[in-house]
Amino acid sequence: MISFEGVRFTYDDAASVLDGVDLDVAAGEFVCVLGGNGSGKSTLAKHVNALLVPDAGCVRVDGMDTREPESLYAVRATAGMVFQNPDDQIVASLIENDVAFGPENLGLPSDELRRRVTHALAEVGLAGFEKKETAALSGGQKQRVAIAGVLAMEPKVLLLDEASAMLDPRGRAGLLRVCAELHAAGMTVVMITHFMEEAVRADRVVVLEGGRIKLEGTPREVFAHVDELRALNLEVPFAADFSARLRTAGVEVPLEIDEGRLADEVAARWRAAGGAGARGTAAAVTAGARDMADACGMAGKSRDAEGTAETPQVAADESQVAADPAAPQPAGVPLIAFEHVSYAYDAAVAKRGRASKRARKEPAQTPDWGNSPDAVWALRDVSLSVREGEFLGIAGHTGSGKSTLIQHMNGLLHPTAGRVLAGGADLADKRVAREVRGSVGLVFQYPERQLFAATVYDDVSFGPRNLGLPEDEVGRRVRASLEQVGLDPDVLSAKSPFELSGGQQRRVAFAGVLAMRPRTLVLDEPAAGLDPAARRDFLGLIARLHAQGMTVVMASHSMDDLARLCSRVAVLKEGELFAVGTPQEVFMRADELRSIGLGVPAAQRMANALRAKGLPLASGVLYDERSLACDLAALLGRSA
Amino acid sequence: MGRVFSFGSYFPGTSVVHRCDPRAKLVLACAFIVIVLLCADFPAVGACAAFVLVLYGVARLPVGKTAASLAPLSLIVVLAALLNLFVTQGGAVYVSLGFIQISEAGVRACLFVASRLVTMLLAMSLVTMTTTTLDITEAFERLLGPLARVGVPAHELAMILGIALRFLPQFAQELVTVYQAQVSRGARFSVNPLAGGMRALTALVVPLFASAFRHAETLAGAMEARCYHGGEGRTRLSPLELHARDAVAAASVAVLAACVLAINLASRLP
Repeated sequence: MISFEGVRFTYDDAASVLDGVDLDVAAGEFVCVLGGNGSGKSTLAKHVNALLVPDAGCVRVDGMDTREPESLYAVRATAGMVFQNPDDQIVASLIENDVAFGPENLGLPSDELRRRVTHALAEVGLAGFEKKETAALSGGQKQRVAIAGVLAMEPKVLLLDEASAMLDPRGRAGLLRVCAELHAAGMTVVMITHFMEEAVRADRVVVLEGGRIKLEGTPREVFAHVDELRALNLEVPFAADFSARLRTAGVEVPLEIDEGRLADEVAARWRAAGGAGARGTAAAVTAGARDMADACGMAGKSRDAEGTAETPQVAADESQVAADPAAPQPAGVPLIAFEHVSYAYDAAVAKRGRASKRARKEPAQTPDWGNSPDAVWALRDVSLSVREGEFLGIAGHTGSGKSTLIQHMNGLLHPTAGRVLAGGADLADKRVAREVRGSVGLVFQYPERQLFAATVYDDVSFGPRNLGLPEDEVGRRVRASLEQVGLDPDVLSAKSPFELSGGQQRRVAFAGVLAMRPRTLVLDEPAAGLDPAARRDFLGLIARLHAQGMTVVMASHSMDDLARLCSRVAVLKEGELFAVGTPQEVFMRADELRSIGLGVPAAQRMANALRAKGLPLASGVLYDERSLACDLAALLGRSA
Repeated sequence: MGRVFSFGSYFPGTSVVHRCDPRAKLVLACAFIVIVLLCADFPAVGACAAFVLVLYGVARLPVGKTAASLAPLSLIVVLAALLNLFVTQGGAVYVSLGFIQISEAGVRACLFVASRLVTMLLAMSLVTMTTTTLDITEAFERLLGPLARVGVPAHELAMILGIALRFLPQFAQELVTVYQAQVSRGARFSVNPLAGGMRALTALVVPLFASAFRHAETLAGAMEARCYHGGEGRTRLSPLELHARDAVAAASVAVLAACVLAINLASRLP
């Protein structure tokens, strides 16, 4: 269906972005292309639908050469492409008009257009949404509309260029389901991603690095190269990583990429080794495992050190922080306290609706995912405090009120009912709110979008200057905060922030907040849209700041990140506080979390699955990869 | 995130106003504005306002949404009204403070201008609230069609307009986010715009421009990927057709025009 023969491409004649790519995709195949930033994977995608044509070599789609001008539109109609940012590819205000945009360009008659729009929307699970406004949709829904817009051209190939990168887990799951269904119906799917869970489902995985194909094969073959993938700044799926870990710890399991099957394998080994008979000694086994923990820890670490490009400093900091939650947390002074806070974006509607709120809790038309945009209350009776020196995580779906909660923390929003206190003073007072803005640093989602100044120096100094500080103090702070985020002030100060890479831009924006010298740092999805390497670096940076004494509040979709970094986690559900406590307390309630559509960290998920199969794992602890591997090693090693 | 209202954002519906041909709506809205400009006094403006308000009822547009959609433009109305308040002189003087004088004619002019502007805005907002942006642009394109022969890029202009309208709510949203982010960094937008406020203003405007360029680049790629190649050979999901209701709409506007002229004449008679 698609064939690349020795494709070379360069944007600027200096560096080859694609450096001799040979690739064949058969009709009906599901291929995943992986690669870090700058590996050339998006450039590859743009070659498939002739947005770019090769400098050398040849790309054929369904037999058509993409360089032939006369087949240009045929190629684009055959290979439809979905882009990363849902907001950048929707052309029209109404869903039906947007879906029809492609086939309209093909000059099809109106009744055929109508048929295709209806059909395409049904295929992505949005039947009946024709007359809805695109602006009111969630990110995941917008991406489905984008897919429908491609499907309406009746393509043979569906190309997704990091189409899930900006979605929340629920939106991503929906997108993946649609792709799987289309693939099952015979569509050739080429997916470019850095989410490994998506790659696991593919027929074939292609790993790109520096414009060349580095690895290629079934997911199982490719993910066996755990260390090699890490060296390429890619992650591996949890199951592959964990089976590798188990093997290092001495448990001989085959490399699995599917968590369920890995659990089966481990359970089978346990039964073979006398399984249930050992049940009586469960307590002893756990104790034994703790003794072995040191040895395992050493093994795990040395493997990390050789396998990753992580700087040792970051790794050390992260493990230090990871140990933190286990230590008893002194009951700190609340820096910010929420007292029965409710918030409605449309206060007038909320007042009118209050009486009948119970009656119409079920909105007229709810899509089967995403929150209703008509929901009146963004926060409902939330009482919560942020304690000095803690790392508070906030979990919840998009629309559950995470961002709204965060914007209350420095007085950007004021509660419709209830109070927010900062150091005992009510934030409703404008003067208090202004003072708090110096001590609570708020980092928004995609903070790099707020960069504005001509130089990095000017941008970072915006905050301190607003505080009215003398120029030499401003200079000192700019230097210090740039160093804090791991950038060299001498090299970057005079550069324009717009020349920097995406990851660096985010760091500069982050430095701009740090330059205010906040005592509390509040972050909304700080790692959103970053590739695995940048993500790891950035979270390491935050962990380091926390280790230096900063109070941190972080909203995130990643349960693994929250479990690893936080000392407390608060879970929001439709504006209400669903749970709050240590990660251990919160993630013990796996069933309740699942009932509201949230997961638990991968290691805990595995432990729960194994426990369900009868393995005597301790039930009151929150496992991470290392402790679970150790316990399993003790369990299986001893009974073997 | 704050909900942002932008002027006349589309409100879905199936009323007769919604179903009218967008070309008819555009032309009639222009005619209506001319009629309002012809109004000589309050009764005539009142008739026009009543006409529009009835249409709002027919279109079943909620009062709250309408008010919210007009709110951003109220500043223009207030400014224009104030200007008239101070500039127009005549009749009894109510307030006199140095060179500032508010007279009877001033108050009259102020109210008259305000009511005319509001009526016109109501009409424009009615059109945009009941018509999708694609229909508006299509209407715009078709109305400009004859000019295409003398070299006016009608299709391109319409496309630009359509995309601008589609991105309005988005930019409004982004503006709020950037505003909040800069306020979080201690920016104060309410203070004197000349000292320090200018820097605060660039902190708002530059990210917005950067975002516009970013959107533009990827959007262009996405449109190309969906085989967009200008207006040639493009078809429409719902082609425009004139119906009886459009004739009725035109007739009612004509009746309104006649009424206004009649009222104008009547007021001139002793």
